[in-house]
Amino acid sequence: MTNSVAFTTVVDDIDDEALDDAFKKRLGFGFWVAISWLGLVSLAALLAPWLPIADPNEIANGAPRDGILGDNFMGTDALGRDVFARTIWGARISLGVGFLGILLGIVVGGAIGIAAGYFKGLTDQVISFVVFSLLSFPSLVLALLITASLNRSFLTVAMTLGIVGIAPISRLARATTIQFAEREFVQAARVIGAKSRRIIIKELLPNVLVPMGALTLLGMGISIVAEGGLAFLGLSVEGEAISWGKSIVDGSQTRDLNQNSHVAFVPIFAMFLTVMALNFAGDRIREYTDVRETAF
Amino acid sequence: MARFIARRVVQLILVLLSVTFIAFGALNFLGDPLVNIVGPLAAIDYCDEVEAGLREDSYTSINNSRGDCEIIGEAKADFGLDKPVIQRYFTWLGNIITGDLGTSFQTQLPVSEIIAQKLPKSLMLMVMAQIIALAVAIPIGVYSAYRAGRAVDRATSVASFGLLSIPNFALGVIVLQFFALRNQWLPASFDDTSIGTRIHSLILPATVLGLGIAATYQRLLRTDLLTTLQEDFVHMARAKGMTDRHIMTRHALRPSLFSLITVFGVSTGALIGGSLVIEGIFSIPGIGSEIVTAVVRDDFPVVLGSVVVIATGFVVINFFVDLLYTWLDPRVRAS
Amino acid sequence: MPDPQLTVEDLYVRFPTSRGTVEAVNGVNFTLEKGQMLGIVGESGSGKSVTAKTLMNLLPRTAEVDGNIIFEGDDVRAVAKERRKHFWGVKMTMVFQDPMTSLNPVKRCGEQITETLRYHLGDDKATAKKKAIDLLEQVGVPEPSKRVDQYPHELSGGLRQRVVIAMALACEPSLLIADEPTTAVDVTVQKRLLDLLDGLRRDRGMSMILITHDLGVARGRCDDVAVMYGGRLVERAPTETLFADSRHPYTEALLRTIPRIDQPSHTRLEPIAGRPPELIDPAEECAFAPRCRYAQPDCLGTIPPVGGVRGQHEFACFHPANTDRGRQALDANLAAGQTVTGLQIQANAGVN
Repeated sequence: MTNSVAFTTVVDDIDDEALDDAFKKRLGFGFWVAISWLGLVSLAALLAPWLPIADPNEIANGAPRDGILGDNFMGTDALGRDVFARTIWGARISLGVGFLGILLGIVVGGAIGIAAGYFKGLTDQVISFVVFSLLSFPSLVLALLITASLNRSFLTVAMTLGIVGIAPISRLARATTIQFAEREFVQAARVIGAKSRRIIIKELLPNVLVPMGALTLLGMGISIVAEGGLAFLGLSVEGEAISWGKSIVDGSQTRDLNQNSHVAFVPIFAMFLTVMALNFAGDRIREYTDVRETAF
Repeated sequence: MARFIARRVVQLILVLLSVTFIAFGALNFLGDPLVNIVGPLAAIDYCDEVEAGLREDSYTSINNSRGDCEIIGEAKADFGLDKPVIQRYFTWLGNIITGDLGTSFQTQLPVSEIIAQKLPKSLMLMVMAQIIALAVAIPIGVYSAYRAGRAVDRATSVASFGLLSIPNFALGVIVLQFFALRNQWLPASFDDTSIGTRIHSLILPATVLGLGIAATYQRLLRTDLLTTLQEDFVHMARAKGMTDRHIMTRHALRPSLFSLITVFGVSTGALIGGSLVIEGIFSIPGIGSEIVTAVVRDDFPVVLGSVVVIATGFVVINFFVDLLYTWLDPRVRAS
Repeated sequence: MPDPQLTVEDLYVRFPTSRGTVEAVNGVNFTLEKGQMLGIVGESGSGKSVTAKTLMNLLPRTAEVDGNIIFEGDDVRAVAKERRKHFWGVKMTMVFQDPMTSLNPVKRCGEQITETLRYHLGDDKATAKKKAIDLLEQVGVPEPSKRVDQYPHELSGGLRQRVVIAMALACEPSLLIADEPTTAVDVTVQKRLLDLLDGLRRDRGMSMILITHDLGVARGRCDDVAVMYGGRLVERAPTETLFADSRHPYTEALLRTIPRIDQPSHTRLEPIAGRPPELIDPAEECAFAPRCRYAQPDCLGTIPPVGGVRGQHEFACFHPANTDRGRQALDANLAAGQTVTGLQIQANAGVN
């Protein structure tokens, strides 16, 4: 067999290696489109109070159940509230709990996973067992158990999403750590008598963080979706606070969905584009840094 | 084989212990079932203090009637809530071993009866969703690997990427709006009249769940197939002049099913508990809806019973997945 | 004289990649008479495997192929386009180098033989199984009726390669291409397998192309040997001629890498200096020049055309070994201590 010739595939297909090579060199156009969309949504969310949009909670801002491109840009809901304004304000909480949630998941899950992967032995066995147990719960049931009895503020919802992420993230962190802990440079550090803490911080962390970067994006998408799931169970952020999940639930009441479907579809579309952008950007970064395993 | 099963049984027991302990702990730490049994009485704390001898029950003596503390005390004794958490956990565990899952705080019905009534609906939804997922994903996955890089493959890659980015509740809402409300082609909610109506009314929710899983399956199968297609035995089969169809289905498919089977196990395990959200959207009275209600009402026995069922299902399904591996690859059988 | 069974004319195979075009095969010509055995010898990247895969229509879709391949009157490339049934596997077939990976790990050995029979010849299950057992017996697999129900991982490497051979021979092909059929098995098993293949070929009047990096394997079995280097056929001759009187410096160098029975056993084997040629956008020069002890300025100007006696002893070299021109070139280089490409050479190394 020749080494230089790529016999990558057989039954009538493409020489994928050539494509992969082209991809690996740069992140690609699609990546930047995705990042731009995420930037735009984040900016709109941050600046919502100062944007020239309607008050999202003002009842009868327009005629109730007004369609898209009527008096209100994206129409109004059953109470005459402006759908466009509500979607932008919804981004604040959806992106907020998504980001905060995954951050918590990564910090705690990452720390647990690195500890398990690095120290091995009993530490690893105990952690792995708890993680396995947690994974035997469907994630929403777990979220349900946590949120049900709490007052559901922005922070508790974010925390719930974070806790749900801990188990799968720690599994990824553990796998990555084990993979790197075997490498020469970590072994070398051990041989010259470096302290565990120093090895973890100086040698392992930077390497484990790279795949974690891709995970932040992918996991944020999952958290945003999970907030929507909680909203359907009536367990998202309480009160007047607006999230995409809550907006979708609002628009999903049979009468609204039938005659006034944009109330649900506009936030669905916003969530879809955002999650897709996160998935796409995350996938690209993962391929870019070449990490095979996924936690989810 | 016997050792394999024995190991699995031990694993199942350990997982059940740990899962129920976590659930038990979370419920007790975060909620008080008394509130839901006797209603949200401010008197609970008050009576706790009376019981602890910290104050006298002036309320009862003043009104000279059956006071709240008495009601609360009775309720506590009835449901065994006057004992410490750990003791209650082990009592519950002992009952489970004898097959007694307890009685609902809310409806006073045996938990096993509730589960027996709700679980089949969720299982039916799960089975239908998996059938749809496999029926969609396997042919498309095989064809997209066969035509890798060509138009059909690119189109399906985009489609499955899109599907993966749609949360299932969003797809549920869209499908509900289009197929059930606007066009009334299919029912919007569960109809328990007969087996036929059950299947008919589960088509939409099963499709929603199935398509989401199908996207994952398709991607995994395509990737694994592309790896398999580089194997020498595929070259060999071509050199033997076998048709492409024969090579794809008879040679390449089976060794390429491992990732798909793994995810099949995980998703089946997850769906045993029903899909909480989809059951809600399509008004399916399955075990998912039941858990949601039970958790909100702090109906401990129902929540714990359901969690036991789900976790058992998860472990058992993964046991069968391991058996499937050995069927897929005779080399696993040997080792 | 009738047409040869197989004629390959001006075969070019290129693979466009992101780093440039890989020119894997560059204008290869050869013929094969019915019942003959041709050895194609070369190192990794020489284009020998790509040539075989082109014959078998096993190249990836991105490969650009040019040239004519005529097999028993059929234009093979046209057949490939029509995807004609019952051509490969029936008329022409191939065995690969690694028996560990050539067999599908999840199918029983018997099934892998019978599927060919059932598809191409329309045999029913029982007939096909009986034939499979017969075939396994012919290739020297002990207890064949037991083996058909076994999985490949239950067999040793040597046995597996025998199963692969049985698989390839099932439909009695008239040409068998064997791509390094013995590199992956034990040395002790190698000779027995090669003798088996040779015997089967003679019994069946089958032609064979043996692809190998080892000239020693070709010796005594092949009628003709073609040596490939950098995607080109650099020398082709009847086996004995090639061994006794090689022309191309690369062949000469290859010969020095194998132990010879007519030399004292402690004779040093000479590795070939330098690295295999670059296949991506190669320069217009003799590909072997950078590693050649005979290299002269004219070797770098153009690619040497194939010369010699057509159909007898062909070679592509301006300064062939064992000729006056070659000796002059070598003497000049020895005197200078290095060749035109800067390769350091010494007088004592390798007087043929």
